[in-house]
Amino acid sequence: MAAAISTSSDVAKPFDIVATYNDLLRSDPDLTMPIAAIEALVLLLTHSPSSTISETLDLLEKSTAHLKQSIPNPIGLSAGTDLFQRYLITTLQRPGQLGPAGDFNAIRAHLLSNGRLFIRRAKESRDKIAAFGRGFVRDGSTVLTNGGSRVVASLLQQAAGEKGGPSAVRFRVIYVLSPAKGDVEGSSAEPEGMEMVRALREKGVPVATIPESAVAYSLGKADVVIVGAEGVVENGGIVSRMGTYQIGLLAKAMSKPFYVVAESHKFVRLYPLGQYDLPIEQRVIDFKTEEDVADEAKQQQQQQQQQTQSTPGVKSPDSHDVVDYTPPHLISALITDSGVLTPSAVSEELIKIWF
Amino acid sequence: MPSTSGPLTPGLASFLKTLKTNPIDTSIDNLISLLKRRQIRHSRSCATATAYLLRSVISASRTNDANKLIERVQYVGRRLMAAQPREMVVGNIVRRVLGLIRDEAEDDREGDFNLSEAGSESQPQTPRGLDDPTDALSARHEGSDRGASRNPLPALTAAPISMFSLLSHPEPENSLPGTPVSASPSGRWLGFGHGPSKDIRAEVLDGIGEIIDELGQVDDQIAAYALDHIHSNEIILTHTSSTTVQKFLLKAAAKRKFTVIHAESYPNNHEATHATVSGANPHDDELLSTESFQKPLIALGITVILIPDSAVFALMSRVNKVILGTHSVLANGGLVAAAGTRVIARAAKVHQTPVVVVSGVYKLSPVYPFDFDSLIEYGDASKVISYEDGDLVDQIDVQNPLYDYVPAELIDLYITNLGGHAPSYLYRIVSDHYRKEDISV
Repeated sequence: MAAAISTSSDVAKPFDIVATYNDLLRSDPDLTMPIAAIEALVLLLTHSPSSTISETLDLLEKSTAHLKQSIPNPIGLSAGTDLFQRYLITTLQRPGQLGPAGDFNAIRAHLLSNGRLFIRRAKESRDKIAAFGRGFVRDGSTVLTNGGSRVVASLLQQAAGEKGGPSAVRFRVIYVLSPAKGDVEGSSAEPEGMEMVRALREKGVPVATIPESAVAYSLGKADVVIVGAEGVVENGGIVSRMGTYQIGLLAKAMSKPFYVVAESHKFVRLYPLGQYDLPIEQRVIDFKTEEDVADEAKQQQQQQQQQTQSTPGVKSPDSHDVVDYTPPHLISALITDSGVLTPSAVSEELIKIWF
Repeated sequence: MPSTSGPLTPGLASFLKTLKTNPIDTSIDNLISLLKRRQIRHSRSCATATAYLLRSVISASRTNDANKLIERVQYVGRRLMAAQPREMVVGNIVRRVLGLIRDEAEDDREGDFNLSEAGSESQPQTPRGLDDPTDALSARHEGSDRGASRNPLPALTAAPISMFSLLSHPEPENSLPGTPVSASPSGRWLGFGHGPSKDIRAEVLDGIGEIIDELGQVDDQIAAYALDHIHSNEIILTHTSSTTVQKFLLKAAAKRKFTVIHAESYPNNHEATHATVSGANPHDDELLSTESFQKPLIALGITVILIPDSAVFALMSRVNKVILGTHSVLANGGLVAAAGTRVIARAAKVHQTPVVVVSGVYKLSPVYPFDFDSLIEYGDASKVISYEDGDLVDQIDVQNPLYDYVPAELIDLYITNLGGHAPSYLYRIVSDHYRKEDISV
């Protein structure tokens, strides 16, 4: 659909990177944020005729900053934009066909013509992870997981194999469901992850769904916790959907192994010192008095009136989008497409691309 | 010396003796049965036997084709590992030999490459780095093998970066739709196996020789770090009759005075431990280096206190440092060691006593411990209750686990022949020593 977007978008209209990014995310449910960001940047290069290196880098930098500002939670996205930028710079510095001696147009052409390939590789890396991670799901074990992570889904589905097939692992899943999204469109009243629950059940895997409040109660019956991540930060901790941190703490307290499944393109150069040190604004803890509540109700009414007039589909930072930070000492191992890593290995991978 | 039992009891010595005369297939079967019957059991003995056997296997195979060598070693390696899956050093040595062959084949290929591309002589690895995504992943391990001695600058720029594998320039065949990105490792070499310009086999044999040398020197190399870790008047607690630990302590004892508390590790290792403490030289023909098995610690004026295992916790509050030997070390920083080790490590954790593990790099396995229970071997139950005690044996279930799994968080420091490492750093040494494509042989 990258091609579809680029052709359909009006040439005369200036390229809108934010809209492209959102379009990409919406058009392909399998697309992760970093990959969508990379795709958006590739499309940006297609639309801008810059031919010198510094012009291109400057353009990228500006658009990246713009994109980061316009998205409520740019952590996952910045992993993609950083990776793209570093790849460009490193390739340009490197002697060889694509280096400074070579043609700048060659690398440009490579990037532009291979947008599809990047997406395919990103999806393939999920299969790779699933292959690495299969060993973590043992016969007769019970896996506790949360959220709607696509990597976790592919891992568990591969472990489940064909129903009754020779490779099938007989395991059970405890699925932590967060309450249904309070979306404007009430159609998706179903909690995120139900799709995966259905897919697993279809494969003959017994799945129990529990609310977040029942994690501590249920963890005694689980052998292993496997979660996904939105971003993996420099110290090996993860930024993931709200609720992951408490699962991690509980798993540690009950000494259950806590594994994180994430593609290596989600590694992001960020070193949060704690929950409130993330570079995003989240209104999770919101102190209010009676007066504030009344004020807000009034404001909301006004807003709703306005919103019905304007485009209805605009995403607002809803409560389901909030994330928390799980520190590395709670994580037993990261299952990535470059192998099973300890949290401390993340910084090494990052250092390699930055320095 | 005590070669009285040399040719009679099958073991490492008799195996090495017959290795030269027997045909290679007999030797392979011989080692497999020795491993199965546990007639070779110490980590180092297994490693040594495996290394010598693989050397014979390679010198016996009359080919210079890397692919065929890899296939042959894989075949033999699989059989050996299946014979005794819990003896992880066997797999480690097989993987290292496979890595050697791959390195040599790759060097060979690079040599060819450089001839054709004269422009890139400054960084010979560069062109390969980003052109093949699978290569980029695997070459990282190969590149860092000798990374310590290499000029850091080229290593840095040439190190293929796995995070970039997503964006990197596709190989012509990879950009075709439907072609899997991860070509099989053996398939990758098919194109390059022809017309090797040098004698891969000889290079590999040299490399195996180096591994064998390493196995011989490893304890002394580790002991060289002893003075950094053992200080005057410290009280050290140890366990089992591990040669590595003994050499480590002896090295420090030459310069410093300290006290050693030795847990006897009943019932599997107590006799050997007693012998180690008292200096009655054990007639252990598995320890090849009997000539280097020196005076006991007491002869150097060190106070050695032998305690039963049950007293470990009680004495831990007075201990300054725990030094442990191990059976094998796993990729996540955990380890499999003689039964009783976990109790000691746990007690040390409770008392905040540092736990130091001494282990050769050859014991470091790339295997991730998915299932801890499968790593534990159970031994002869009669050591706990002898079969003469018929009434008891009938009525109760006696178990004698030989090993313990110790999780990484109970260990403070690993000392290998490369130096001291935090448990969380072990992944790095693993990736330096084994190649990704060999992790599952």
